Amino acid sequence: MIKDQSILQAIAITLAQAIVLIAVSPAIVGLIRKVKARLQCRQGAGIFQPYADLRKLFRKQPVVSTTTSWIFTATPYIVFASTVTAGLLVPVFASQMPLNFAGNIIAFVYLLALGTFFLILAGLDAGSSFGGTGSSREAIVASLTEPAMIMAIFAIALTAGSTNLSTIVHKTALLQGIVTDPSSHLMALAALFIVTIAETGRVPVDNPATHLELTMIHEAMVLEYSGRYLALIEWASGIKLLVFLTLIANVFAPWGIATSLTPTALSVGLGVYVVKVAGLAILIGTIECMFAKLRLFRVTDLLGVAFILALLGLLFFYILRG
Amino acid sequence: MTWLTPHIGTQLVDFGSAMLLLTCFAIVAQRRLSACVDLFALQSLFLAMTAALVAFLTGTRHIYIAAALTVVVKVIVIPRVLKGVIERLNVTRELVMKVNVPASLLICGALVMIAFFITQPIIPFGHLLTRDSLAIALAIVLIGFFTMISRQKAVTQLIAFLVMENGLFLGATAATYGMPLIVELGVFFDVLVAALIAGIYTNRLQDAFDSVDTTHLSELKE
Repeated sequence: MIKDQSILQAIAITLAQAIVLIAVSPAIVGLIRKVKARLQCRQGAGIFQPYADLRKLFRKQPVVSTTTSWIFTATPYIVFASTVTAGLLVPVFASQMPLNFAGNIIAFVYLLALGTFFLILAGLDAGSSFGGTGSSREAIVASLTEPAMIMAIFAIALTAGSTNLSTIVHKTALLQGIVTDPSSHLMALAALFIVTIAETGRVPVDNPATHLELTMIHEAMVLEYSGRYLALIEWASGIKLLVFLTLIANVFAPWGIATSLTPTALSVGLGVYVVKVAGLAILIGTIECMFAKLRLFRVTDLLGVAFILALLGLLFFYILRG
Repeated sequence: MTWLTPHIGTQLVDFGSAMLLLTCFAIVAQRRLSACVDLFALQSLFLAMTAALVAFLTGTRHIYIAAALTVVVKVIVIPRVLKGVIERLNVTRELVMKVNVPASLLICGALVMIAFFITQPIIPFGHLLTRDSLAIALAIVLIGFFTMISRQKAVTQLIAFLVMENGLFLGATAATYGMPLIVELGVFFDVLVAALIAGIYTNRLQDAFDSVDTTHLSELKE
């Protein structure tokens, strides 16, 4: 009986964390837009506006070009599913994920890459020149962020002695604020933050608010989508952003996360999680206002810096043994 | 002072040296000359803070003097002189590089690894709390050297030279808790004079060639 109960509990915790990710992500997108609007002395839409946008898009009839293949219609579902699956591997408000056995951080990275890959294909599928441009740019950015991200994650994994996200977060949370390798973690944090900005198409790399063809990356790829397909893609990119923010918040500052499954620990964990993620979203909104978008050929410099930071994080683990 | 265990002290010193190396990479990635000068001032500030921390943890008095001199000479005087030089120039950024930024960054990353492997056999024999910084000090010297070779503008080369000197200072602090005070005073004076001379030389270069590209110096003139 006890065994049954723990399985039920595990399923409930996993579902709850996935539902939090899916449900909160539009609000985070809305919060970033609101912060940007306020900093630009505009009133801006409310932070719950993205929910209304999604509802509107789900009701509209999608238009699909006759030149497209099955990839075009399958991509929104693949992107949404792969992003949510990646989200299942990240501890959200409880540090011990029952799906721990199912995949480690490398699986996480490549689940996200699977979504990106299909988006790139879908951008090419409709045969429009904008889609092609967007796909080509996304391929550049994705191939440059991947090594930086893997290196940054390895730097953290070395300290924790495991590539399992749950184990990393759980171990760090149990230390209660004692950071064992501060230099190494700081470098990895900076690298992962740049990767987050590049992967989720935020300002120094891409501008999510524009449809100006010269500068767009992500928007160019999804230009052909409409109706529920567009809604799924927008929602998936919101979830991707939230998953990255969750990763940063919980790996580098897991304080307050629920290390046991008592109701108090879980509710404190949820509250702290929302505060941390909202703080990061406000930071991203501020950065979007402070910096101009980089020229596409300067993006490689920025991502080169991210890679080097991650590499330094890895090296510092060996150099600075304390 | 119960919280300041030797372990935390070592971590703080390590953290300071890590920041020094980080600013080094920022200088390599930065194209704007005035930003390079600011980054150098920041690096020197980190150096002074690390040195003061070592002085505090070990009770070595003369490192305080060296740290204070670092603030005066490298954080205030030399950056001012360099800013003055840059104002006279008609270039604000390094446009043509022999090695582009991402490649330079990768080469510098490789230099850090080389520095680590060279110092690795020595480090376990040290018992100073600064011993881990030795690898970083060597890495900073190598990166400064590489930047001097790979950049063409006289100002960037001068900054790279000063970065090398910062690396040496960190190395001396890491290996032996600093050189004797009289040697350090001599080094500071040397660095100051070198920076002033290089500043004047940059101005002369600007007057003679209307550019501060040092490759002009290897051309024959009639």
